[in-house]
Amino acid sequence: MSEELLRTPFPERAGSALRDRFLQEALGIATTKFIGLRRESFDGFPEGEALRDRARSIKEATLQKLDVYLGQLADNVEALGGRVHWADGAEEAREVVLKLCRDRGVRMAVKSKSMATEEIDLNEALERAGVAPVETDLGEYIIQLAHERPSHIIAPAIHKTKGQIADLISAVAREPLAADPEVLTAAARRQLREKFLQADMGITGANFAVAETGTVVLVTNEGNGRMVTSLPRIHVAIMGIEKVIPSMSDLVVFLAILARSATGQKLSSYTTLVRGPRQPGELEGPDEFHLVLLDSGRATQIAGPLREALYCLRCGACLNVCPVYRQIGGHAYGYTYPGPIGILLTAMLRGSRAVADLAHASSLCGACKDVCPVRIDIPRMLIELREQVAREEIAPRRERLVFKALGRVLASPAAFALSARLGRLLQRPFAGGGRLRKLPLIFGRWTASRDLPAVAARTFRERWKDLR
Amino acid sequence: MATRAEFIGRIRREVGKTAGLFTARTAPRPARPAEAAELVKRQMAERWPQALDRFREEFERVAGVFHRAATRDEVSAIILAIARERSARGVVAWDPASLGLDLGPALGAAGLSLEAMGAAEVGEAARHRHRASAARSDLGVTGADFALAETGTLILLSGAGRPRSTSLLPATHVAVFDRRRLLESLEQAGVVLEALHVDPSRSMSGAVINFITGPSRTADIELTLTRGVHGPKEVHAVFVDEPVSAETPW
Repeated sequence: MSEELLRTPFPERAGSALRDRFLQEALGIATTKFIGLRRESFDGFPEGEALRDRARSIKEATLQKLDVYLGQLADNVEALGGRVHWADGAEEAREVVLKLCRDRGVRMAVKSKSMATEEIDLNEALERAGVAPVETDLGEYIIQLAHERPSHIIAPAIHKTKGQIADLISAVAREPLAADPEVLTAAARRQLREKFLQADMGITGANFAVAETGTVVLVTNEGNGRMVTSLPRIHVAIMGIEKVIPSMSDLVVFLAILARSATGQKLSSYTTLVRGPRQPGELEGPDEFHLVLLDSGRATQIAGPLREALYCLRCGACLNVCPVYRQIGGHAYGYTYPGPIGILLTAMLRGSRAVADLAHASSLCGACKDVCPVRIDIPRMLIELREQVAREEIAPRRERLVFKALGRVLASPAAFALSARLGRLLQRPFAGGGRLRKLPLIFGRWTASRDLPAVAARTFRERWKDLR
Repeated sequence: MATRAEFIGRIRREVGKTAGLFTARTAPRPARPAEAAELVKRQMAERWPQALDRFREEFERVAGVFHRAATRDEVSAIILAIARERSARGVVAWDPASLGLDLGPALGAAGLSLEAMGAAEVGEAARHRHRASAARSDLGVTGADFALAETGTLILLSGAGRPRSTSLLPATHVAVFDRRRLLESLEQAGVVLEALHVDPSRSMSGAVINFITGPSRTADIELTLTRGVHGPKEVHAVFVDEPVSAETPW
């Protein structure tokens, strides 16, 4: 995310998203639609629940031997004629790609959607090096033309209107195009088809990598993943180390639940299994295949508190159901990965300091955990993150003092009873209809965006005494 | 830049810290994949009619167009009709041996140009020629190594005489297969993929396996479903009652 945006504090980023009328409407429609599609898909799929358990178990078991599986993956990719690169962090990963571009005279690289390349800010690095990166997923293409970043993991441009998109694609076409999805998609097809045929390098992520066979698996609906891996002379796949799975038997378990969770499809239009560069006898496919394995803080979480976040399939289901994401959208989070899982991944990649505010951007309602295909316990980890943020004194001093005081009050029955009586007295000027709508002083910051329930005339504890 | 040993060493240390904490398992796997795949094949020799019905239902659900041909000759007629309806000029197809059909005579008689790359042609010049013809063709004809009923999916292996782009670059893709290609479930597909790996002679020597489930699609502009964004706008499946002697994994 741009440094400029990150200098704005999270509450302001969220505030401006809340004031954006179109964004509000678009988010509501999109997330509601995705929720419905997902639900319908699982309703007609009784074996889905057992498959989710199995998928989770595979992820956990794989982490138990991650060193072994990564070694096996690397051996197999190399046996197929590919090359494997080991990148500790974003900078090393970028350098692998930049060096390849320099050495091989690459001028243009076509990309299929990859969160890993967003994570390492690869496009900016390529541009600085004089290589033109071209995003080819339609949504990503649109936001690249707009010089923006994705706002949803699987629907990157949901925040743009078709009118805005028509302006962007018309500018490339040098003719005015109607704000009609059919017309715009056809124009983008022509524009990008040329790029696929011209590009020297294709860059992809990986939804999975199968250790035993050395296979990189790409799941797309548009077919751009196939183009990028078939037409340019070099293919570079960049993946987080947690994407490796042991075997093809494991792969089909994930395939059965991934698209259902993301878009409600049984399978996405294209699932592409790629093994190394073009093999003897083939007419198509790259001369060279490179696999970049990216750590960037993932390895330390194998035994760390965010371990479960390493199971994530990047389906986006938790974004759609999150009451916070549904209100503020992806950009307000400020980093590559939005939504509930995004907060955890940001903490993993950038440290807990980066999520001092974001750790609180959740109502802890648990909807994310319910829909997660691998049942990641996101709320638990968010609570732990909040604890960590408090312990490491990253949170603002005032916030820490308030919570410390609150902690004391809640821990002592006498203090709690006293506070109820005191609250009842003090709230009198502000209470109405059982709600506190506007409080003075620093408490006003709470009531600026939500009501607080008033202290009841008789609290539960007071009534309980009589009832007994 | 880390070396492999450093990188994996660090991961091994982290993994070591969790020893004994987790008892999860990976997916159950066939102990002998080739035998398991043979079993699938025997099951499907009985159950293919149900699988075909399910395939058709699911394939149409993802906007595929299903055709059934009684004979191999009828396949050419169906392909010709599809080409005519779309005013196609150029057709690109898998090598006749990989396809199990020679479309040349029928298409030629109708005045259509057919590009079918012989499996033996692999040089730089052949590659350029092939790419140009695939890019300008309106119709691509392939086989299907498997047709997966549960999801309405065509599974295609790349290799000599079976280019990846035939099912990708033209606006219309037609896949031809017979009953021996039908699978019921993703689970069976998993068994088959395991067996392909164990026996490299079955892999058709290519680097890519594609699962194709309907046409290319996007909903990236205001969630409006649009077909044919990069890959084909239309996908046709032609099921042939007569056996098609295509070169396939089995």
